[in-house]
Amino acid sequence: MSFFGFGQSADVDIVLEGQETRKTAEIKTEDGKKERYYLYFDGETVAGKINITLKKPGSKLEHQGIKIEFIGQIELYYDRGNHHEFTSLVKELARPGELTHNQSYSFEFQQVEKPYESYTGANVRLRYFLRVTIVKRISDVVKEQDIIVHTLSQYPDMNNSIKMEVGIEDCLHIEFEYNKSKYHLKDVIVGKIYFLLVRIKIRYMELAIVRRETTGAGPNTFNENETIAKYEIMDGAPVRGESIPIRLFLSGYELTPSMRDINKKFSVRYYLNLVLVDEEERRYFKQQEIIIFRKADKARKNYQQALQHHHPINPPNMNQHEPAAAEKEEERTEQSSAGDGDN
Amino acid sequence: MPSTPQLSPQEEQEKLLEEALNVVKNQAFQMKRCLDKGRLMDGLKHASTMLGELRTSLLSPKSYYECYMAISDELRHLEMYLVDEFQKGRKVADLYELVQYAGNIVPRLYLLITVGTVYIKSNELSRKDILKDLVEMCRGVQHPLRGLFLRNYLLQCTKNVLPDVEDDSAGSDSGTVMDSVDFIQLNFAEMNKLWVRMQHQGHSRDRERREQERRELRILVGTNLVRLSQLECIDMERYKKCVLPGVLEQVVNCKDPIAQEYLMECVIQVFPDDFHLQTLSAFLRACAELHPNVNVKNIIIALIDRLASFAQNEEGTGIPAEIQLFDIFSQQISQVIQNRPDMPPEDIVALQVALINLALKCYPTQVDYVDKVLETTEEIFNRLNLDHLEHGSMVSKELMRLMKIPVDTYNNVLTLLALQHFGPLFDYFDYKGRKLMSCHIINNALENETLIPTQEHVDSVLNIVNCLVQDQNDQPEEPEDPEDFAEEQGLMGRFIHLLNAEDANQQFLILNTARKHFGNGGDQRIRYTLPPIVFAAYRLAFRYCQLKEEDENWEKKCGKIFQFCHHTIGALIKAEQAEIPLRLFLQGAVAAGRTKFENSETVAYEFFSQAFSLYEDEISDSKAQLAAITLIIGTLEQMSCFGEENHEPLKTQCALAASKLLKKPDQCRGVAICSHLFWSGKIGADEAEMHDAKKTTDCLKKGVKIANQCMDSSVQVQLFVEVLNHYIYFYEKGCEQISVQVLNQIIARVRELLPNLEANEETEQINKHFKNTLEHLQLRMEVSDSTVSYQGLVL
Repeated sequence: MSFFGFGQSADVDIVLEGQETRKTAEIKTEDGKKERYYLYFDGETVAGKINITLKKPGSKLEHQGIKIEFIGQIELYYDRGNHHEFTSLVKELARPGELTHNQSYSFEFQQVEKPYESYTGANVRLRYFLRVTIVKRISDVVKEQDIIVHTLSQYPDMNNSIKMEVGIEDCLHIEFEYNKSKYHLKDVIVGKIYFLLVRIKIRYMELAIVRRETTGAGPNTFNENETIAKYEIMDGAPVRGESIPIRLFLSGYELTPSMRDINKKFSVRYYLNLVLVDEEERRYFKQQEIIIFRKADKARKNYQQALQHHHPINPPNMNQHEPAAAEKEEERTEQSSAGDGDN
Repeated sequence: MPSTPQLSPQEEQEKLLEEALNVVKNQAFQMKRCLDKGRLMDGLKHASTMLGELRTSLLSPKSYYECYMAISDELRHLEMYLVDEFQKGRKVADLYELVQYAGNIVPRLYLLITVGTVYIKSNELSRKDILKDLVEMCRGVQHPLRGLFLRNYLLQCTKNVLPDVEDDSAGSDSGTVMDSVDFIQLNFAEMNKLWVRMQHQGHSRDRERREQERRELRILVGTNLVRLSQLECIDMERYKKCVLPGVLEQVVNCKDPIAQEYLMECVIQVFPDDFHLQTLSAFLRACAELHPNVNVKNIIIALIDRLASFAQNEEGTGIPAEIQLFDIFSQQISQVIQNRPDMPPEDIVALQVALINLALKCYPTQVDYVDKVLETTEEIFNRLNLDHLEHGSMVSKELMRLMKIPVDTYNNVLTLLALQHFGPLFDYFDYKGRKLMSCHIINNALENETLIPTQEHVDSVLNIVNCLVQDQNDQPEEPEDPEDFAEEQGLMGRFIHLLNAEDANQQFLILNTARKHFGNGGDQRIRYTLPPIVFAAYRLAFRYCQLKEEDENWEKKCGKIFQFCHHTIGALIKAEQAEIPLRLFLQGAVAAGRTKFENSETVAYEFFSQAFSLYEDEISDSKAQLAAITLIIGTLEQMSCFGEENHEPLKTQCALAASKLLKKPDQCRGVAICSHLFWSGKIGADEAEMHDAKKTTDCLKKGVKIANQCMDSSVQVQLFVEVLNHYIYFYEKGCEQISVQVLNQIIARVRELLPNLEANEETEQINKHFKNTLEHLQLRMEVSDSTVSYQGLVL
């Protein structure tokens, strides 16, 4: 921090309490690289030590005070100037004065509220960090240290399956069922597609996980859709009466918990998109939102999960009700034809 | 893929396959290298890329198969590597889950199956659960070709790890044989669905090719049934209750002819015979429900053939008594026929063929079963309003096959006659068919020398083979090939000799019956058929003669027989035959003479005189005349039953007839032969030869005289040599009227004439004859025994 090559300067080192045993987690940076930081949960105390090492031993460092801040902020990429801090805690480490030798300060933010999960998205980032500032007359010495926050959820009380009959009249009627509506990050989606009527030549069927990141509000709302996973679940054309199993493990994909209206700045939602592609490259799809949540790591999950199947309680009845509004899209746009078809 | 237009479809396929195989080779190499270095994840990635080649839609089933084979070979490496690692204790956690991240379903499922198999072999997770999971997850591939191969891979991988125990008492959760059954049944059902689905895809113009392709793939589906049959814990009960019903339900419900036909035959082939025996009704009921286009015939026949050979297998236990095999088949087959109004009649008959085979092989003593089949066949023809089956048509061929089976199996015409419905079926053939069948039966009787022992039997047989016996309403206008006709009637002639009762009286009835039948055969046939009857009758007369001690009426009966023969020969005469009746009469005369019954001399005389009248009235050709008179003379010479009173006119008549022959050489020969009548002819019961030297030499002199009158010197010399031989014969027999001088005269005469003859083959022969004669004399002179003296002979 000594651009001008004179005056005393110092290295600031933040050592978190119990950091040898603390878990770390990865997060993407804006440019897609991955970084690893210490992991904290909501309500956890963030404490540690600040070590200030003077760069020129023997010479003193004058300062206007030393402070440490705990900041949670949301950065919208299109609005770089404004960072929205939803949490900002400050601790005074030293009154204005001078440092003559290396100095350590302990700090502690007791039971800090960390309401949101760390997140790096397409247009928005939510980060937590500690900032130590040695206030000086000309330029402050500042040191930032990111931490990662995971929000844990209770296993939801209500977790109904998603079951729906959809179709296009006289063309395609299917009934699909996903075993839950809420999945944790290491969960597995188990389900079934039941074909009630098939009059199109289906080439394949896939299940996509789509993340929709919404930023801004009102007329300035931006939606960014990203396909996180594309998973072929059927090859070839089924006939009426076929039932196709779905089993999709989530832990292999880079998912985050669903986020709703985070500090009125952004939302992250997840959708399961069931896509059928016919021989003329027409795509038929149905999107269903699913909630993704993070649950505390358990010891070891039961292996049976790997074999899990979905067994509908009631056998599907073809004439049960009118098919729900169908979505048929004949998009032969660059996006859809970029699929991994086999030609 | 850029396709160059000049490539033929086949070349295109080859090129595509080659490209695919290259990728497979390359990726397999990389995979193995990674595995060698212990980089499992990378190895799996290469395996997945390799498996990507099985996602193609461009390869024909044949090429796809080759690609699949190459890949499954390579996957075996992966499997072996993993099993090895697991055995060493280096388990890869969550491998079963890991491979499920593959984005494309085809590679994913191949990997899942591979890893699943490894888990089973290493006792990771529950075998039962893995099997269930794998077979369920494979539903994701609905493309017929790719699905069939994927599921075949599943079958192949799990081949040796399917649970095959009665119960899972160890509690290891590794499943029982019933889990295997469920597993295979589900896989089978799914594969069959896919296979059937192929039929309904693509253009109808490609149907033939598609069906061909489906046939190429059928073994993939059939492997399921093979696996089921390999489970040792499947006993009769399980097969009956759990295995077969599921399979049959699937087969019947798929409603696809190709699948049904193949799978039903598969069931027959892969499961043991004693299982089939216990489930016959169920299986055959299913047959009745198959698609109309299915050739049910072949299926049922295959089953019958198997069971029939099972019944004959010496090691086997045979057909259990409680299983009414024949009744079951009989009922179910008629059900099948009823269900299929469009079934071609030849197929219906073919089914009956199978049924008759079954009856004969499994129940060889139950003639009534065979009869039942024939009855059913008759009913079917009646119902279908079929008759006059054209020869060469499929139905006719099948019916012939049906009817030949009892013929060739029993090898006994009498057994055939016991079949009520055998004969009536003849009426459904056309003329040619009837004739072929008839010949077949007659030939069979001849080959087996089956004697027909009663009048009734004769009646029945001849009614059946009626078309060989007499003219038919439906026979073709144009006359038959004479050689064929002769051969066919010759058969009948031989057959008559098989009409043979043990009892003489019965035999007489038989001959009467035969006579009645054959008598209606028309002029052409009776030439062949009546003579054997006459001969048989003569034989019967001899039999009575031997029975004279036991049967006091034998003489009367003999009289009747000769009357019968007389009458029968008369029928031949009416048919404008002369030579045969003449011979038959002469033979009759001999027979009567030998039988020596009350009136035998009268009968013999009558027969002789009949022969004479035929000679006089009917035989005009000079050669035939000579032959006939020679025969008559020869016969008379042999007979010994005539008294002087009858012998005299006959002798005289012979001499007269001989001298009345038209041509001089014939006259010469005739009278020369007559000489023997006066020498060795016999009169009265004492059977002494007459030795009338005077008349004998008179005949010979007359012969010489006639020979002198011959113009043709070559013939003349020939006649002299012949007469010389007669002279020598009698001289040696001691005829005192013949002197050496006479012999010298004739020899000198021949010597005088012989050199003047033109040198040719005929002359050569005459010369030879003469030389031989002289040589004989020479020899005699040298031996010179006491009885004959050739003193004074000039050679």
